[in-house]
Amino acid sequence: MLKKWFRPFEKIDLKQKMTIIGIWIALVLGYWFYASLGSKHLFPTPAQVWEGMQSLYNEGLVVHIGSSLGLCLQAAVISLLISLSIVYLSPLPALKPVAVFFSRLRYLPLTGITFYLTMLVSGARTMQVWVLVVFMSLYFITSLLAVLKDIPADEINHARSLKCSRWEILWEVIIKGRLDYVLDVLRQNLAIIWMMLVTVESILVAAGGLGVLIKNSDKFANHGRIVALQIIILLIGLLLDWILHVIRKGLFRYSTY
Amino acid sequence: MAAKYEQKDTILHVENLSIVYGEKVIISNIGFTEKNTVRPDKPQGQTIAFLGRSGRGKSTLFRALTGLEEPTTGMVLIPDFEKPIVNGQQPAKKVQEGDVGFVDQKYTLFRHKTIYQSLKYALRNVKISSEEKDEKIITYLKDWGLQTCRNQYPNELSGGQRQRTAILEQLLSSGLYMVLDEPFSGLDVGNIQNVKDAFRLINDSHELNTIIFSTHDIELAVELADSIYVLGYLKNDDGTLTQTGTILKHFDLKEMGLAWQHEFTADHLDITKQIKQIMLAS
Repeated sequence: MLKKWFRPFEKIDLKQKMTIIGIWIALVLGYWFYASLGSKHLFPTPAQVWEGMQSLYNEGLVVHIGSSLGLCLQAAVISLLISLSIVYLSPLPALKPVAVFFSRLRYLPLTGITFYLTMLVSGARTMQVWVLVVFMSLYFITSLLAVLKDIPADEINHARSLKCSRWEILWEVIIKGRLDYVLDVLRQNLAIIWMMLVTVESILVAAGGLGVLIKNSDKFANHGRIVALQIIILLIGLLLDWILHVIRKGLFRYSTY
Repeated sequence: MAAKYEQKDTILHVENLSIVYGEKVIISNIGFTEKNTVRPDKPQGQTIAFLGRSGRGKSTLFRALTGLEEPTTGMVLIPDFEKPIVNGQQPAKKVQEGDVGFVDQKYTLFRHKTIYQSLKYALRNVKISSEEKDEKIITYLKDWGLQTCRNQYPNELSGGQRQRTAILEQLLSSGLYMVLDEPFSGLDVGNIQNVKDAFRLINDSHELNTIIFSTHDIELAVELADSIYVLGYLKNDDGTLTQTGTILKHFDLKEMGLAWQHEFTADHLDITKQIKQIMLAS
């Protein structure tokens, strides 16, 4: 059995897959326990992390998670609406440069944009939302443009052969025909946005959120809490990823990738 | 024995057609005319085959025949059945997108529509009631053996089912003309038979139904078609080949008495050999 595990492209059954994953988890946890032994250690001990989790829970962790998720959801909805409008109009030659320009803007640094947003937007919460919207949109536009570019010419020709007008092609092939891809683009880009939470939530401490919690813990060098928070953020991120995957598979039976 | 037939009005006229991409001339000087074939004993559609080695411009020609590609020179004309007959003749019109059905090599379908939804969509411009559309679709699904998978998406279908759906969709949308780019490639013996049956079904259902297809299987083309065009490169004076596709030879199997036969005879084999030679030299 062991020989199979180290042979390239070998197919293994589910039980063996689970065993391999179990071994890796045990190794990571074992290393963590070992590395945090003694008086000097890089990582907090599992006990410190557990304590950190308990204290976070007592300080209203659930409310903070709700605040972060609310911020993300609000930004994601606005961002999707803006991005889809820009991308769906990009097949129009006159508007294509606009979509490409926004896609290129993803290389802009965050600081420059927040400076101008501060002048344009009033209210810290609105500011948080719009910083996320700007960045989410730039990545969404880039990914959605790639989806459009990958649509085979055969699909367009097929619609044309069925007497579809150009607008019908846009509606059937691009918009309706690629709805499942939109969910997947959202899933992939949510990871980037989730990572930006700490920076964005630090703009308004009073609104709370996981970013604020991590910033406070960092200030007091409470490593147990920091690692606990990182684990929580990771798990919530993975949960969101899984939920979007399940929604896509459930809603779109034809989505095979 | 040669079947009796008559040639009536022109159903397809291609004149001095050429297509150029940038500096590269893909096809040039393509011209042919096909007429409505009428047999006394039964409705008989037309089956036209295009043969030629890879890269000789068959797919490009097909895109032009279906109106998906604007010719650089020349034109493709078909009868305009929406206009009244003038001096005993149906007025002609330049082919436009959607006038001629097109089934590509990959049997492309809408990925987000089930078979039933696709067929309903193909009928969206037809002026009949929704109930009549349903009835029509159900009849077609039954005749074409697709009844059991009517609610399945393209990714849930076999290659043969996809192909039949693609043909049906075009049949419902475009009506009389159907261009199929290599409909037999990659099919097993059973699916090849299914496509042959589909051709017969189309041909027998209306005398103006016209199937135009390409294939690399010369024997199959000789067996199925009543008109065969061989596409290839002409020879230069120095013996080298030009790099532009054109029609090298036309075989009218009706005239030769070889069309609509139930058996593949020695004469069919002889034509097959001739075509092979022309293709190898081009």
